Amino acid sequence: MKVGHCVLGFVMAALLFQGCAFSRGTVGDDVKAEIVAAIQKGTTTKTEVVNLLGAPDRLLQLNGRDVFHYYRYDAKAGSLLLILLNFTRLSVKSDDVFIIVNRDGIVEEIISSKRTDNLSFRFWPFGE
Amino acid sequence: MKNVGKRTISLLVAVMVSLPFMGCNVARVTLNTTLTPESVAFIVPGKTTLTDVVTRLGAPDTITDADSGIVATYRFLDMKYSRVNFGWLAKPWTPVDPDLIFSRTGLGVDEFQVFCSPNWVVVQQGFQRSVTRPPFHPYPF
Repeated sequence: MKVGHCVLGFVMAALLFQGCAFSRGTVGDDVKAEIVAAIQKGTTTKTEVVNLLGAPDRLLQLNGRDVFHYYRYDAKAGSLLLILLNFTRLSVKSDDVFIIVNRDGIVEEIISSKRTDNLSFRFWPFGE
Repeated sequence: MKNVGKRTISLLVAVMVSLPFMGCNVARVTLNTTLTPESVAFIVPGKTTLTDVVTRLGAPDTITDADSGIVATYRFLDMKYSRVNFGWLAKPWTPVDPDLIFSRTGLGVDEFQVFCSPNWVVVQQGFQRSVTRPPFHPYPF
């Protein structure tokens, strides 16, 4: 009887989600907030930053200072394929961390944000 | 007889309503959150710092060097695509697979640039294109 319920539940779920497609793509490694929090302005050195986060994805020069840029992209796509009428929505967001190191090799500024936390699968393309 | 007539009218209305949606595809691609003049109105050149901007808008996509200081750039995209295939209307009556497709894509690419002095105070800000949001209708002409 339990097996019958399970099969019925599976069939119901399959019927409910038929015509739905979920896709996801990511670029780069997840930058953990606790690691970024461990980096302190005025004390952490360039070597310590590299030990904690690895080599940066991009290295820039900013008025004689080094900028280490770490990023990660996350893309989530939801499609509703109703044969005659199809809806698709792809949302892409990025997490970026910029660490600005002064001429003495000490961290001067940390700029970071994690936008991918509130990234969800969406199907409806209209509105916001 | 009256019921049959009512049913036929209901069916006809349902078909008429669903006809415009036949063979329709609607897609949207968004990259980061679209910024508007209202969402950046808090920035006061000469007073607001880059830290204040990052607190409200998040980290920029790029930070570059300029003669006068630093440029932080926020990039975003709101692409809308719609397509209708009127060939679907003829499918039930023809042995071939006819297509008459109207489609339209609006890219909606823009970026917001924040110019800062070497001590991280915002000097100037502005949108690159100030694009209006692209429409969702597939009419290409």
